Amino acid sequence: MEELIKDLLFGLIGTPIIAAVVMLFIREGKIRNILTYAFAAIIAIGSIILVATNIGATYKEIAVPDITLEITHFLGIALSVVIAGVIIGFGIKYKNKFAIILAVIQLLASLYVEIFIEGGAAPKSTSCLYIDSLTVLMVFIIGVIGTGIIVYALGYMTDHNKHLAPEETDRSNNFFALMFLFLSAMFIIVFSNNMIWMFAGWEVTTLCSFLLIGYTKTDEAIKNSFRQINMNLLGGIAFAAAMFLSATQLQTLEFNTFVTTGLTSQALISLPACLFAFAAITKAAQMPFQSWLLGAMVAPTPTSALLHSSTMVKAGVFLLIKLSPIFFTCIAPQLMVMLVGGVSFLLCSFMAISQTNAKRVLAYSTIANLGLITACAGVGSPEAIWAAMFLMLFHACAKSLLFLCVGTAEHHIGSRDIEDMDGLFRRMPILARFMMVGMMAMFIAPFGMLISKWAALVSFIDSGQIVLILILAFGSAATFMFWAKWLGKLAGIVAHEKNIEKTVHTSEWIGQMVMVVLVILGILAMPVISEAIIMPYILDVFSAFGQYGIYYVVSLQYVGMSNLFISLISASVMVLVLFIGSGKANKKNQADIYLAGAGINSEKRQYLGSLQTKTEATSRNMYLDKYFGEKRITPIGNTVNIIIMIASALFAVLSCMGMM
Amino acid sequence: MEYIKKSPWVIHYDGSSCNGCDIEVLAALTPGFDAERFGVINTGNPKHADIFLVTGSVNEQNAPVIKQIYDQMLEPKVVAACGICACSGGIFSECYNVNGGVDSIIPVDVYVPGCAVRPESIIDAVVKATEVLEKKQKELKCSKQ
Amino acid sequence: MENLISESLTADLLIVVWTIVASVIFAIIAPIVGCLFAGIDRKISARMQGRVGPPILQPYYDFRKLMSKEKSATNGSEGTYLTFALIFVFIAGGVFIQGGNILLSIFIVTLASLLFIMAAYSSRSPYAEVGASREILQVMAYEPIIMLFGVGVYFVGQSFNVGDLFMLPQPIIIFLIPVFVCFVIALIVKFRKSPFDISMSHHAHQEIVRGMTTEMSGPNLAKVEIMHWSENFLFIGWILVFFISANPVSIIIGIIVAILVYLLMIWIDNNFARVKWQSCVKWLWILGLVVCGANFIVLMVL
Repeated sequence: MEELIKDLLFGLIGTPIIAAVVMLFIREGKIRNILTYAFAAIIAIGSIILVATNIGATYKEIAVPDITLEITHFLGIALSVVIAGVIIGFGIKYKNKFAIILAVIQLLASLYVEIFIEGGAAPKSTSCLYIDSLTVLMVFIIGVIGTGIIVYALGYMTDHNKHLAPEETDRSNNFFALMFLFLSAMFIIVFSNNMIWMFAGWEVTTLCSFLLIGYTKTDEAIKNSFRQINMNLLGGIAFAAAMFLSATQLQTLEFNTFVTTGLTSQALISLPACLFAFAAITKAAQMPFQSWLLGAMVAPTPTSALLHSSTMVKAGVFLLIKLSPIFFTCIAPQLMVMLVGGVSFLLCSFMAISQTNAKRVLAYSTIANLGLITACAGVGSPEAIWAAMFLMLFHACAKSLLFLCVGTAEHHIGSRDIEDMDGLFRRMPILARFMMVGMMAMFIAPFGMLISKWAALVSFIDSGQIVLILILAFGSAATFMFWAKWLGKLAGIVAHEKNIEKTVHTSEWIGQMVMVVLVILGILAMPVISEAIIMPYILDVFSAFGQYGIYYVVSLQYVGMSNLFISLISASVMVLVLFIGSGKANKKNQADIYLAGAGINSEKRQYLGSLQTKTEATSRNMYLDKYFGEKRITPIGNTVNIIIMIASALFAVLSCMGMM
Repeated sequence: MEYIKKSPWVIHYDGSSCNGCDIEVLAALTPGFDAERFGVINTGNPKHADIFLVTGSVNEQNAPVIKQIYDQMLEPKVVAACGICACSGGIFSECYNVNGGVDSIIPVDVYVPGCAVRPESIIDAVVKATEVLEKKQKELKCSKQ
Repeated sequence: MENLISESLTADLLIVVWTIVASVIFAIIAPIVGCLFAGIDRKISARMQGRVGPPILQPYYDFRKLMSKEKSATNGSEGTYLTFALIFVFIAGGVFIQGGNILLSIFIVTLASLLFIMAAYSSRSPYAEVGASREILQVMAYEPIIMLFGVGVYFVGQSFNVGDLFMLPQPIIIFLIPVFVCFVIALIVKFRKSPFDISMSHHAHQEIVRGMTTEMSGPNLAKVEIMHWSENFLFIGWILVFFISANPVSIIIGIIVAILVYLLMIWIDNNFARVKWQSCVKWLWILGLVVCGANFIVLMVL
């Protein structure tokens, strides 16, 4: 058993790397398709086996042979240099001074930690890999959803390449290599107990998303990719600084030890915890760092799907959830994480109302939901962790589904504007329904996200966080607004519209089907997931609290099981409703719409206007730009969050000083 | 008993009139006459209405509108031509653009005379119309069987 | 341990069965009572305007008439959406009268509103679309208060379960008077009463014809009517949550207050003009934020 897990673990880290190398050298379409399917299947099946064999797993270290440790030590150093080299190279090519400076600082910091601190101030870590239930959950998200997106990308990139300018070469082999590499880096992050290993994975994800965002090489793409790299390098530097502090003050470079010692020496841990949280906040694109995720929209849609659902931003919230026991006991990082998350949730939900670009709506919704997860991690009580883990899972499923659908729709209707999706219910019947399922899964009871939000609400009440309660109440209302109006646009039925989804690639359908099944299964399996994965993790983490912790877990009032049953019945009915409604013309008595008696063409909404002119009635949804516009809200959010972060950092420094 | 008799919802369209009848129709709905006693509701939407009250004569421009509103009403439905213009074109009947009464476009079930038509007679017309509605409802049921 | 889990699972499944039974019971009672309420509403409104008004059973006549009308729709999905919106309202009611979770009840009602909104959008009628957009704004306006009502209930009663709340030694209104006031104001929106009837109204001649229901006719409109009656009945039930405690007298007090609140709604409906949506959102949000927030802070300090 132990051996199997170890093999799987190495397999999951290794296979995507092999796949990436293979992809790099294969340009022929058909072979690439077959290989991509094969690699994706291997990774997905491997992940599922790992999940299945580790149901209810408690924290377990995986022994690594000494020789591997030695090799990886040098690999790590080499990797840092390579990453910095690539960034500096691009920085010089595109004349971005800031990126070069940051890359140099980060390289020096990481080299210092890797060479001098490890084995110096802190003993050389021997337990490098581990597995627990949170990892299991992440493996599922990365392994199944991530590979689903890669499969989808096969069809998507074929269409994407059709739009290439003649002088451009097809670089999609790089694209697929990067996507696979991304998965590998994510696996390293979730399996590593050793901070240096985790940092290596962390940096690889930063670099991969940098390259993926800049993939199209347009001016905008380059600009946005540098914005991404600059922000994430800041986070990387914070991560390195946190490692340094952890090694010098707590004499450890192991995450698990860091968290457990943190529970006893709060004053020492608040500063490194704040720094880790800062790193995670940059990665999770919380305000004021949201602009990199918004900028990432220029990349091909599979990239966005990958960044938003199963990788990158999820690495940020994964780290926060891991640290949440520290936040639970330590006030400075708690305030920072909780409030930054809360403010991001509220304001990004507001800004999503004002967006007409579908991908930007999705982006704001991602930031908002990550904000909620961040806030939950910041609260850190058992209920909050329960909510955060479920939010992470459901968000990954639903959001990747939505991105995949928007990507396909964009290729077929030639626009990503929500207003242009009017009447998609007839034009792309199955796709529109998939999209509607995804949206409902994002915002309405009884689907997973809302049930998790409900658990979050309970945790906020139990921990007396009135500010967060109010934020959640108003944020959710805004969430209803921007999803419902988009859903409404999709639901519009033009009975005799032509069906244009016949040309959607099979691989796209496969990717979408995987997500739809996951969304629906997720609701059905919610009680099971709760018992098999989430509760074991919470029990595991809170057993470190001793008597005190057990008290908390016993009082855990998660959403009752009977309510989950009722929810899943309602949710299944709801999904059925979408497919029962024919969306066709009414069979017997097809009625025309009411156009004040002057209608000419009901489907085109034409009527006879004044002077007998043919006029078309048009209607747009409300975007309320005057109230919820980006220009108005972004500065507020950025300022508030910067103040919160500076204040809590100062607080942490002061408490550190007090200790010394 | 057919329930349609107890719940006549009306839609009112004012054709080419002097607005006299138009105002009287609205007057019929005021507290003074209280048409809601009989369940009358002015819906303003053909899809909800059972009784079509037309005031004023029909001309070239409003003929298609009247036709469309009538078509959008669901069976059973009744048309009441209120006022002499709606019945026959009245003093406008000789105008170059006037077609005549409402019955030149759609079948009329109740003719209400008057210039302008009195609120009492409008309510009376609606009550008459409900009888026609009931009859039509029964016929519909028979034809279904 | 195994035994414990299977035992609790049986108990949970039993609750689900009871909820379904309760939904069926609700589906029978709520439309009847709701219909009577609607009839009384119209009668009282008429008297307030110095009219005689229709018979108390007028809404029932209207309903029967709508059912007997010809079936017609602009598309084949509208009817499906409305049917299930109605079913979800019944489930929400079932959850409530079974003594289940009040938040779940709230959420499922929201789901029903969403289906109603989708039904309106599906027609692509300009009037219905404007109505539906406004309905979304309305939901956005009242949702925080309704959610904070749930929060307040849990704050005081330490449970979301209506069954537990009715067993408390004191009624929760003692601690939640500000939340109650906000809740009543939010209910004006849910009852579709002036000044907040911006998405559709019972009265004719709106600028948007009949808003969301413009394209719904005959039996489909009848479903909307029943849904509205059942919702109203459920909302009146929610008011009871504030008042009922273990003391049996509290039930009578609760019912009296609920009736008074309903009369107040009718009075407000007849005395206020419709406001713009901006005011609707602004007032309700300020109320929710300031009044409910202050209420919670005071509760925390105590």
